[in-house]
Amino acid sequence: MKRAALLLLAALGLALTVYPLYGTGYGVRAMLQLFMWVALAGSWNLISGLTGYVSFGHVAFFGVGAYTGAILIVRAGWPWPAAAVAGGLAGILLALAIGWPCLRLKGPYFAIAMLGLNEVLRALVSYFEGLTGGGSGLSLPTLDATFPIYYAMGGLAAAVTGVTYLVLTSRFGLRLMTIREDEVAAEAMGIDTFRHKLLAFVLSAVAPGIAGALAARDQGYIEPISVFPLATTITMIVMVLFGGKGTVWGPVLGAVALFVAQEAVWARYPYVHPLLFGAIIVAVVLLMPRGVLGLLQLRYRLPRAI
Amino acid sequence: MLGQVVVSGLLVGALYAMVALGLALIFGVMRIINIAHGPLLMLGAYVTYFLYQGFGLNPYLTVPVSMAALFLVGLALERTLVFRVVDAPELSSLLLTFGISIALVNAAQLAFTSDLRAVEYLTGAWVVGPIAFSKSRVVAFVVAAAITALVFLFLTYTRPGKAVRATSQSREVAMVCGVNVGRVYLLTFGLASALAAAGGSLIAVIVAIQPEMGQIWTFKSFLVIVLGGAGNYPGALVGGLLLGLVEQLASLLLTAQLSEVVAYVLLVLVLLLRPTGLLGGRQT
Repeated sequence: MKRAALLLLAALGLALTVYPLYGTGYGVRAMLQLFMWVALAGSWNLISGLTGYVSFGHVAFFGVGAYTGAILIVRAGWPWPAAAVAGGLAGILLALAIGWPCLRLKGPYFAIAMLGLNEVLRALVSYFEGLTGGGSGLSLPTLDATFPIYYAMGGLAAAVTGVTYLVLTSRFGLRLMTIREDEVAAEAMGIDTFRHKLLAFVLSAVAPGIAGALAARDQGYIEPISVFPLATTITMIVMVLFGGKGTVWGPVLGAVALFVAQEAVWARYPYVHPLLFGAIIVAVVLLMPRGVLGLLQLRYRLPRAI
Repeated sequence: MLGQVVVSGLLVGALYAMVALGLALIFGVMRIINIAHGPLLMLGAYVTYFLYQGFGLNPYLTVPVSMAALFLVGLALERTLVFRVVDAPELSSLLLTFGISIALVNAAQLAFTSDLRAVEYLTGAWVVGPIAFSKSRVVAFVVAAAITALVFLFLTYTRPGKAVRATSQSREVAMVCGVNVGRVYLLTFGLASALAAAGGSLIAVIVAIQPEMGQIWTFKSFLVIVLGGAGNYPGALVGGLLLGLVEQLASLLLTAQLSEVVAYVLLVLVLLLRPTGLLGGRQT
């Protein structure tokens, strides 16, 4: 069973590796987007799915990574791979700055702090116009790096999924889930809940930061509206909830399902689909809180770490 | 200059206090942070706009109408959705009300479009010495203060009001004393939605109306609760006035652009230094 699963994964990896050689331009771009969503959804799952602390502003890390990367490329002439690493570091720093005060407390403080974070960052980007270009945005020098960015984004998605697997099967992951189920009990068992929450949060901020810098390089132009949209956070949340929060493959499943639906159907009804996202969140929370994968886990006795 | 800041801050602070009181009531009684609180405020603003535009009604006379309308919306939301997550983990209630908030904002976008709308009524200001009192803000202050006072009278002296306070102190003891807790939840949610609606109607005369105007109010209301101390209803008053003052001061000393950043830094600082609020928490 395990060997078959590994073989399947290897085949999938190989297929995705050689895909750019045969795929169409649109296909490669679509896969790149999909990789990004897998990385973003997987990251949200690391903090919110595992610890139960809801991050309503995860796009902030994406945006900060995008601006860090773009500024380094434009103003300092960094090569994009280095800028991507810097984007990840920026995500870590922001996560520490927000997590330090807000995760020491139990309760909704963290969620609301994340809810307001987006507005604040957008205001800051507009304020520091000299550095960020303000509302008129920042244009990156032209460079066709679609293929390398395809592999970088694919590697990022794989890394997030792999890290989720490692965390979920480790004692660290078990402690995180204990915090989710009963934080007071976790403390009584001697778990340093603050440190665990903070570490999970920092871990969840790295990939969005890198993805932001990669996306900035890929699109060649960023502005506050394009890298701090609330819609991105909503999409991440919907993907994870739909697929199954607190699992390894739930975010992947949710990202694939929603991305395909978005490309195939909803692109034609641009105004209805955010409304639908709200309805999906409400429905999933009330009717299937464990998501699709959770239902399958219950019905077919799948392993916990799936 | 400083006098002007104090006046403007206190005027807007009363609005903050009234809207935040709604969020504080739901949090105190149901232990839920209602992310949809701001979007409910937005709906209240639209009620005023359409009554003013369609029937030429005085915007201030629409306050009771929008409060009644949103009271009913609140009852419906509580009865169909929110009551299901009262005892659920925090993640469920946060996500559920977040989903409701997204649905409300986007439904408003579909129904009313994203165009900015304005209720042009009572523009201008009364000038007393060096200080200008914006007319619409003064009236908003008076109405908000009156409504807040009524809510406190209701909480202090009436039987349902006492039931609300009892439930927020201890649900189990309230049940033992014969309080119908389910009905208290319903009443609280309706009342809180009506308070948000009153805020929306009063703001409609002051700033432009659009579907996304509400979300920042959820955040600000929460900030007010944190400043005052969660579960401490009079604390919401102090917190509201304080937030108004700080924001005005920030726009004077820095720029209006950064007033939200300053509010955010304030939240982070309070959480770091005094997480129980400036007045201490839970003395209902």
